[in-house]
Amino acid sequence: MAECVKVCTANFGKGAQDIEVYKKLGGYANISERLFNMSQFELIDYVQRSNLRGRGGAGFPTGMKWSFVPRNSGKPVYIVVNADEGEGGTFKDHFLMMEDPHRLIEGLIIAAWALGSRAAYIYCRGEFLPCIESINKALNQAYAAGYLGENIMGTKFCFDIFVHRGAGAYICGEETALINSLEGQKGQPRLKPPFPAVSGAWKSPTCVNNVETIMALPWILQHDPSEYAKMGTPRAGGTKVFCISGDVKNPGVYEAPLGTPMMTMINEYAGGIVGGNLKAVLPGGSSCAPLNAGECAVATMDYECLASMKTMFGSGAMIVINDTHNMAELLNVLGNFYSHESCGQCTPCREGTGLLHRILNQIVEGKGHDGDVELMQSLSGGFGGVTICPLSISLGGPVSSYTAKFREDFDELIAKNPDHAKPRVQENYRPGIFW
Amino acid sequence: MSNYYNMPKLPTENSPKVEIFVDDKPVMVPGDTNLLEALKAVGIETPHVCYHPYLPVSGNCRQCLVEQEGPRGRMLVIACYTPVSPGMKIYTPASSARVKNARKATQEFMLVNHPLDCPICDKAGECTLQENYMEAGQNESRMRPEYGKNYHGNPEHQFIDAKGQLRGGKHVDLGPRVLLDEERCVQCDRCVRFMRSIAGSEQLQLAGRADHTYITTFPGEKLDHEYDLCVTDVCPVGAMTAKYFRFQKRVWLLSHTPTVSMDDSLGANIWLDYADGHIYRVMPRCNPVVNRSWLSNTSRLAFQEFDKNRLPSMEVHTPAFGNGKIAIVAGGTCTLEDLAAIRMLKEKLGDRAEIFGGSLLKVDAPDGIAKSGDPVANRAGMKLLGFADVADFMKRASEFETLVTVNADLFGEDPAAAGVLEKINCRVAITPFDDATAKKATIAMGVRHWSEVQGTMVNSLNMLQKLNACPVCPDENLWAAYQVVSYMAGSKFEAAADAFKKAGEYAPVLAGLTYDAIKSTGKLLEGGEA
Amino acid sequence: MREHIQGAVQFVSNNHLKFDGPSEAIAALPDPGQTFGYVNKPVPQPAPKEVLAKLDTPEIKERCADLLSRYPVGQGALLEVLWLVQGVFGWVPTEGIRWAANVCGCAPAHALGVATFYTMYNHAPKGKFLLQFCRNISCSIKGAQPLIKYVENKLGIKSGETTPDGMFTVLQVECLGSCGNGPMMLVNDDFATDVVDGQLKMKRGTTLTEASIDRIIDWCKAHANNVPKHDVLGGVVKGHCGHPGAPGATAKPQVADYAPPSPVLNVKAEADETGATLTWKGAPEFTKIVVEKKNGSSWVAVGEPGVKDKAFVDAAGKVGDVYRMIATSGERTAKPSNEAVTTQKPAPVEEAK
Repeated sequence: MAECVKVCTANFGKGAQDIEVYKKLGGYANISERLFNMSQFELIDYVQRSNLRGRGGAGFPTGMKWSFVPRNSGKPVYIVVNADEGEGGTFKDHFLMMEDPHRLIEGLIIAAWALGSRAAYIYCRGEFLPCIESINKALNQAYAAGYLGENIMGTKFCFDIFVHRGAGAYICGEETALINSLEGQKGQPRLKPPFPAVSGAWKSPTCVNNVETIMALPWILQHDPSEYAKMGTPRAGGTKVFCISGDVKNPGVYEAPLGTPMMTMINEYAGGIVGGNLKAVLPGGSSCAPLNAGECAVATMDYECLASMKTMFGSGAMIVINDTHNMAELLNVLGNFYSHESCGQCTPCREGTGLLHRILNQIVEGKGHDGDVELMQSLSGGFGGVTICPLSISLGGPVSSYTAKFREDFDELIAKNPDHAKPRVQENYRPGIFW
Repeated sequence: MSNYYNMPKLPTENSPKVEIFVDDKPVMVPGDTNLLEALKAVGIETPHVCYHPYLPVSGNCRQCLVEQEGPRGRMLVIACYTPVSPGMKIYTPASSARVKNARKATQEFMLVNHPLDCPICDKAGECTLQENYMEAGQNESRMRPEYGKNYHGNPEHQFIDAKGQLRGGKHVDLGPRVLLDEERCVQCDRCVRFMRSIAGSEQLQLAGRADHTYITTFPGEKLDHEYDLCVTDVCPVGAMTAKYFRFQKRVWLLSHTPTVSMDDSLGANIWLDYADGHIYRVMPRCNPVVNRSWLSNTSRLAFQEFDKNRLPSMEVHTPAFGNGKIAIVAGGTCTLEDLAAIRMLKEKLGDRAEIFGGSLLKVDAPDGIAKSGDPVANRAGMKLLGFADVADFMKRASEFETLVTVNADLFGEDPAAAGVLEKINCRVAITPFDDATAKKATIAMGVRHWSEVQGTMVNSLNMLQKLNACPVCPDENLWAAYQVVSYMAGSKFEAAADAFKKAGEYAPVLAGLTYDAIKSTGKLLEGGEA
Repeated sequence: MREHIQGAVQFVSNNHLKFDGPSEAIAALPDPGQTFGYVNKPVPQPAPKEVLAKLDTPEIKERCADLLSRYPVGQGALLEVLWLVQGVFGWVPTEGIRWAANVCGCAPAHALGVATFYTMYNHAPKGKFLLQFCRNISCSIKGAQPLIKYVENKLGIKSGETTPDGMFTVLQVECLGSCGNGPMMLVNDDFATDVVDGQLKMKRGTTLTEASIDRIIDWCKAHANNVPKHDVLGGVVKGHCGHPGAPGATAKPQVADYAPPSPVLNVKAEADETGATLTWKGAPEFTKIVVEKKNGSSWVAVGEPGVKDKAFVDAAGKVGDVYRMIATSGERTAKPSNEAVTTQKPAPVEEAK
């Protein structure tokens, strides 16, 4: 395992929650004449050259996202930090915010300078109260040290950061749902266009960035952008904070360059598989298609390779599954999750995820029938591209891929039903008095 | 919920026409609207549940999917939220199997947790789900009882029925006029959007999330608003039902008369739904410039009094009016034809007769939805035909020896002020109802109610609108007011068209028009503003 | 098909079927729930006065004012104000939702929709210790379900229930964002995999086991009378000026010229027989660009490309000339761009035929 440059996790375990320690470790060095002499355009160009891509899951180039924010629209520009980390298997932001809150603040000041933003909101999920405490403590220190507020370091620049505590909704990780939630509404995704960069929070230009994206900025600014770009792949620069969980010896958060082979991540970083042999890996969180052992052997952890294998890089959350698990049971867990977290807006997602979960439940409980799998595949086909946000596909995709790649697991459970081959006779179930 | 400030842009007569390609065929459509309206304009119906032309677009039912050719190939988009752009390429189910399947899938999902109680559902026959199913679906059900249904419902209303199925609230008392069936709700949130964006009072909200969503008011509060019955109109399914109409009639047994409400000077366009000689309900009739699709409760529920307390018909003779001055007062519900007949009578009687119009009720401010606040429906018509205001008459009441009231219940409207009228010797009341004025009158003659006559009125926007007769008159021998008055004047109008022609003689702005040419959505008169 | 329906409707309605409909509206039937029995009992709500009295404290007023000053519209603070209510009661009573709606200036029904949408607002009182177990995929892989069963058996309750003594409520929740330590639980607001030195801790590399759950539950019982309490919003941040324009905020909007004007970037010059061609990258807010050429030690202006032009040609330019560009954004002039030394334009690559 080659020692890699630590961009986001450099200060882990060093007590950087305190501003003095953080400054000793080189923190807030960017908040200096050099930044304040840069124009917005220069800074955005700088970030664009670093090839930084959004770390939340979609992987959109950050510099390009910033360049979409209209200038001089007469409306304030908001930066919203997406710390609503709720995807199964993802837990990097939790640790990043706990261990190094000042880096997030420093990154936000840089982003605010680039966008001319006056106020930023850190939308932190409700379960992460310890993180919020950590950030609030850091904010108090940063205000006291003059890094935030009005006339920062004697310039005309003014900037405030507020923490917004969410209250338990996975869907608020979607940027427009997050904005709705910030506005005090239900966290339901909005119709697009308009995109948030043009009309987001309170109808103003809004830039929603992941915690990790913002936390990479201080390092990028301290170094040459090409140095960051060359660490990754040609289309996505830099290192990535990977979350490895599941059946591995040392699950946890590891920073590695993009393009690291998957088996290196599992064997060298996470200490290898425990409890059995490798069966499957979910490379980008719970909503992506699994890779089986053969595919894992050749996969590298970057956007392009995983996309070519018909799965996705997502937030870099690897979930390793050994061969003692039945994939149908795991799919049932996902069915439970996504049907619980559907915002209830679009019909296919609202009713369909629940239905898929109920069918999966039947299979897992040993009451499955032949044809249930085909029905599920057909139903999940009905999700494709028809809903406002991709939550329905987050379940529909796994249903298709799990059943395609691990069909024998489903058949095994269905075979437990002695009557599985008998067709279901509808006449037996004539509607009753209230049907 | 989403983007609730996005009101759809609707096509108008002046919309620029642009060429788009529907199923590879070039079509000229209105260019300043959404795709759903544009396709409707060229006769292609797109099934939809949550979209409503006068509500902000929410885009949650996903039923109106079409395919659009874009930079990344053909994509499914919702027609209700896609603006028309020149040259766009659209594929409907007629050519695209993908669209057909997507609509079918959405249809299936929508019915997954929807109860199959159409036979006992009040909305059956005019239910959007039924229509969409017949047009796009008709799939065999793939659902099996083991999968279970997850009926939507407030946890506090849930119960387990005789079959062991968890059920939601069936008769939830939302307010004084509306009942909710939580299970039938398809979460289109039209009612929520109506109350929030149109009524301006966010009394309804979808609580919970995922397939546990249910419509509710705030606990302990009731849905109570002047326009709350509109939520039963916008509800695409049988979830919201009006208490007054519940179980009164299957909707396919109703016949419909398009007419205009004479409760208010905006003249909200309405349907009178009748059967067996009774009006069963009143529904708003869409008129983009007058009341859109909205109707106030007052106008809607007024029909319940239409056939009560009526005056019988009476043989009319040519009357002899004494020697003194005569005042003829037209009430707010007089049609232009009634007014023309009154004017004709005045001309016949000469200088000793004066004509007045209006009522003693107070005029409110317009509410911006479907009421102008003025109870004198035809006030603009009265101005056209040279009627003085009734307030003028009240000041000079003592000058007159004879008072003829036509559809004007002066005693009922303001008993105190009307006291002075008792000094007038001869009081003739021509009115449908046995009201206070009729009771105090020397002679009271029954006429047809405005819902039972042909006629026209000019509303507060200066639009000439047409009333149609609903065949629910309790007495076949009753005459319309214009017939009675014109008979008194010596030449009876047999049809409203004759009276309208006469009105054209008095009001030049009406002269060029013919009764039959007036469209159902009315005609803006010259000098008026829409 | 529509014609079929309409045909059928016409057929029926033309027959003028006569029904002796009732003249009065039929009263609503009793709700079937009254026959079959409701599944869930309504949650007993405290008296409105009691709720309002508890919320009417100077601290809460101060917190609300602070929250409202952060958002341009009061409704933005709704989630946070609801958290304050939950902080006072441990759950959100209906009256508390109405109070929050009044504070934020939105409709009570809206606040109800919001409060029921998010799962972390409790709508019924919970035990002193709310034990939330993750049941999502990573924790399931590592055996969350057997552990949840274990806790349920140990406490004698099912998920979602509260022990009769009001000590514990067990909940199964979705991902807690600590999959590396899965299976994972939250004790009230603290992540915990074990008790270390009398404190709940989530240490790297540790996971929840039956033994550690025993220790955590013993710890909870020992702390029954001094339940560690967190501020629901993670403490107060001092020193911020709020959102410009929000009530109670002192903040001023960002000045337009807070940053220096944008210079022209990436100026490159290449010469061929037509002269020197300059290419560059420009900011969207440019109003004017001037091209200058080095003449000895001074700079001479040689032309003005349009702000949206992609290239500028100086016919007199040759290899070795030095150019720079100066941009103007409105009233302000940016610093000059990098100096570009003209190089020979590479010969065009001949297309393979």
